[in-house]
Parts: sequence; C-alpha cells; structure tokens
Amino acid sequence: MTPTPHLLATRSLSARYGDFQALFSVDFRIAAGEVVALIGANGAGKSTFLRALMGLLPVGRDMVLFEDQPVGGNPPHHMVQLGVAMVPEGRRLFAGMSVEDNLKVAIDHARKTGDKTWTLERIYRLFPILQEKRNAQVEKLSGGQQQMVAIGRALLAQPRLLLCDEISLGLAPKVIREIYEVLPEIARTGTSIVLVEQDVMLAQRASNRLYCMLEGHITLESTSSEVTRADIAQAYFGAGHEVA
Amino acid sequence: MKWLDALIQGVLLGGMYAQYALGMALMFGVMRIVNIAHGDLVVLLALIGITLSVAVGLGPLPLVLVLVPLAALIGWGLQKFVLNKVVGADSLPSLIATFGLSIALQNLMLEIWSADTRSMSGGGIEAASVNVGGIYIGLLPVLILIAATLLTGGLDLTMRRTRFGRALRAAAADTEAAAMTGVNPRVVYAYATAIAVGILGLSGVFFALRATVSPADGPAQLIYAFEAVIIGGMGSIWGGFVGSMVLGIAQAIGFRIDPGFGTLAGHLVFLTVLATRPQGLMSKG
Ligand SMILES: Nc1ncnc2c1ncn2[C@@H]1O[C@H](COP(=O)(O)OP(=O)(O)OP(=O)(O)O)[C@@H](O)[C@H]1O
Ligand SMILES: [Mg+2]
Repeated sequence: MTPTPHLLATRSLSARYGDFQALFSVDFRIAAGEVVALIGANGAGKSTFLRALMGLLPVGRDMVLFEDQPVGGNPPHHMVQLGVAMVPEGRRLFAGMSVEDNLKVAIDHARKTGDKTWTLERIYRLFPILQEKRNAQVEKLSGGQQQMVAIGRALLAQPRLLLCDEISLGLAPKVIREIYEVLPEIARTGTSIVLVEQDVMLAQRASNRLYCMLEGHITLESTSSEVTRADIAQAYFGAGHEVA
Repeated sequence: MKWLDALIQGVLLGGMYAQYALGMALMFGVMRIVNIAHGDLVVLLALIGITLSVAVGLGPLPLVLVLVPLAALIGWGLQKFVLNKVVGADSLPSLIATFGLSIALQNLMLEIWSADTRSMSGGGIEAASVNVGGIYIGLLPVLILIAATLLTGGLDLTMRRTRFGRALRAAAADTEAAAMTGVNPRVVYAYATAIAVGILGLSGVFFALRATVSPADGPAQLIYAFEAVIIGGMGSIWGGFVGSMVLGIAQAIGFRIDPGFGTLAGHLVFLTVLATRPQGLMSKG
C-alpha cells in the first residue's frame, strides 16, 4: 500500500442543524504539514465544518476520512486521540480555572501515540506572557492572551491536525502578528493546520492552499499564491456579485 | 450556656447535612443535575446496612467498607445508564428522571423492608458522649462532623490538584470545550456521581446509627441537603459545608427558642438567603 497523501479528507460532507442544512457535499483535503485556509462570509458554514471534523456534530461515517479511515461521527475525545485538536471560535477556555490548569487539562488527555512535541515549557517559550500569568484565572486575561491559551491548549493535545477558528478575531494588529508568527513553527513540526479566517489577505498569506465557502458550498479551491482577488470576490459573495 | 450548647449542637447537626450536601453540590456543580433521589439513596444504603448488620453481624466499620464501594457502584451505574442519557444544558430532563427514581426507590424499599422503622446498634458509640464543661457532646455527631470535614477538604483538594479534578472542572465550565480537549465528559460524570453517591455509603451507616430509618424518610433528608447547598452557593464544594453549618445552627437555636420552631427556623434562614443572596453565601457571583 502506498502512503496516503492526505492526512484528512472529507467526501460529500453534509451537516444540518435540525431542518436547516448548513453544509452541502463538501469535498476537502489536507496533506501532512500543509496549511489550508478556509474563508467565507459570516454564516457560510466554516465553524460548522470544523465542528463536524472535530466530532461535535453528527455526520456520516464515510464523510470524514483520517488517513483513509472513515472517522465521521467519532466523539471528540476519539478525534483527539487520532490527532485532531481545535482552537474553537470564541476561545472557549475553562472559566474559573488558572491558565496552567487550562493547559494541564490538555496535557492530561493528550494523544497517547507519537512523540510529545509540545510541552508546557515549549508553550511558555512560544508565548512568554502565559508563563508570567500561569496562576491567573483565564477570564482575567486580555483577549490576545486568552487566544494564546486556547492555541496552547490545542497544541498540548499533540495534534497532527490543528483546526483554528478565527484566531485573529477581535485582536489588535500587533497581537494578530504575534499569533500568526507561531503558525510556521507549528507547521514545521509536521502538524497540518486548517485556518478559518475572516481576513482574506491574512489567510492567503499564511496558507499553502485555500478554500472558499458560500452558504455551505465550497465555491473555490486553489493554491493560495495563485488565486486572484477577482476569483476570491466571486467565490466569497457568489456569482453575479458586482466586484468594486 | 444554653446558647453555646445550641451552637455546638447546631454545628454537629450541620456535619450530618454536610455529608449529604457534598454530593449534591458536586452533582449540581459539575452536571447541573439536582438529584431528587439523593435522600432516598441514603435511606436505601442505611437499610441495606441495617439488614447486613442483622444478617451477617457486621459492625459499623466493616459495614462502611462494604457500603461505600457498593454506593459508588450504584452511583456510577445510575449515571452511566440513566443520567448520562438526560444530562445537558436543560436541567429539566434530569430533574424529572431523578424525581422518578426517587419514587421508584421509595416503592422498592417499601416492598423489601415494609414501612417499619429500623435502626442499627453500633455497640455503644451511638449513645456515648463526653461532658465538656457541662455541655454534653455526643461521640457519634463528632465523628460525623470530622468525617464531613475530611470529605469536604479531600474533595476540594481532589478538584483543585488532580487530573480527575481538572477534568471535572473543565467539563463543568464548558462541556464541549472539555470534549474537544480530549475529556470524555460521560466518563467524568460517571465518576462524579460515583463519588457523590459513594459518600452516602458512609452517611447511610451514620444515619442508621443516629436515628431510626424507614423507607419514606428520603425526602426529609433531601430537603436539608438541598437547603444547605442553596444557602452555601450551588456548586461550591465548601459552600455546601458552610450552608450545612448555617442550617444546623439555625435549627438548633430555633429549637432552643421553641421545640416546634427548630425546623422552621432552618427554613426561614433558607428563604432569607434565597431572597437576599440567591447565589449563596460562598458564591463569588
Ligand atoms: N447551533 C445552531 N443551530 C442552528 N443553526 C446554526 C447553529 N450554528 C450555526 N447555525 C447556522 O449554520 C450556518 C453556518 O454557521 P457557521 O457558524 O458555521 O458559520 P461561519 O461561517 O462560521 O460564520 P462566522 O464567520 O460568522 O463565524 C449559519 O446560517 C448559522 O445560522
Ligand atoms: Mg464561525
């Protein structure tokens, strides 16, 4: 058997909230070590897609393949053991707990197979401010610092695939730069990254490939360096939309 | 002297409530489950204990060693097979489930043990007391208070310092985020309920030594634990303990004012807290 080129792929992935269908036949793939951006307007279905990959939404077994194995609908803690971790929209830290305890939960339940690439010390080297604040309750931190905890928590699960949902949202440009500077280091460890991002320019610059989603459909798939603004505008807003 | 005596008796009474409140606070704090069957489980374990002590001749200490694991197993099974199916953001389904369980348990116990009251002989410790400067302090209530304090302190430490405690707090803070961090909330919940009910294995023995037990006694036990947890602050481990002390003292002082006023005084304190500080005394909110 030849080694699979894709770490994760979806086949005709559909998902719904009750009667409302949020994802339509999404075909997506990501290779090991690749950074793939997923862009789209508000309500396009980006978070829904990540949640479906993480096992937080019921989807068909064959709709999600991890190293060619069907894993759709696995509970999230199984996905963590496979090597999927998420920095969720809105950070979702454990309120009432210290920075270090938030991180320790991830260490406690990290993927058991493979190397321990990420240690508490390494996270503190990556984000020195977290070491300083390690005994502070997470809700006392600034938005950017909280985002660092969320990223640290996901990394300490020792992921092979990191799902990032709008990690720049609501942060100052300087903090965004700080956070985006660590992405190449993460990718260098061989971890693949799915980057959901509102800021199209940022997404394009930080990724190898890019998907655009519109109303639950993939409307564009391209190499990030080759895609034109006009392509993106059309995929982002839909055909027939006037591009200014 | 009369009031000091009331205060001491109140604290000792609070020790009993604190054991019940601890499990309730844990289940509510972690899963938002109000376990209506909590009192019935104490009664069930007390009755099993009495039967074992009569049938096999087990003394209080061996009984504890049998009942605590049994209780933990019951709690684990209850969570895994019943409550995990109804736990969620909406606490009404679990409320209804535990209410149903409460009624089912009472009927089951009535069937097995009939409505007679029973109690357990502890070989003298149930009646032993010491005279401290004119105030009689029962040995058993002191043991109960010590046990409650150690259990509360131990659980609090477990919550703050251990892997399991972190998983519990994480699941309590944000179940979904805990799941995506690798925690299996259902397993954590099953252990939490195992602890909450496991404690009742000890309480059941104390209960049977201290008073007479009959199958319908559960709700009366529940209501004090419930009030204690509300007074202290829902979901706070030491809150339940403090609430129990407040409730015990209020009842003991009320009782000294007028024997008929004891329980009512407790209820009045509960209502006062509910009206003026609904988040509870120990809650930061
Ligand atoms: N829990 C839910 N119940 C019902 N519908 C939902 C739920 N969550 C999302 N939706 C709907 O699904 C669609 C996709 O939402 P989703 O959150 O995935 O979009 P998004 O691309 O992440 O948007 P944003 O950029 O605003 O985060 C939207 O129409 C949204 O209203
Ligand atoms: Mg979103």
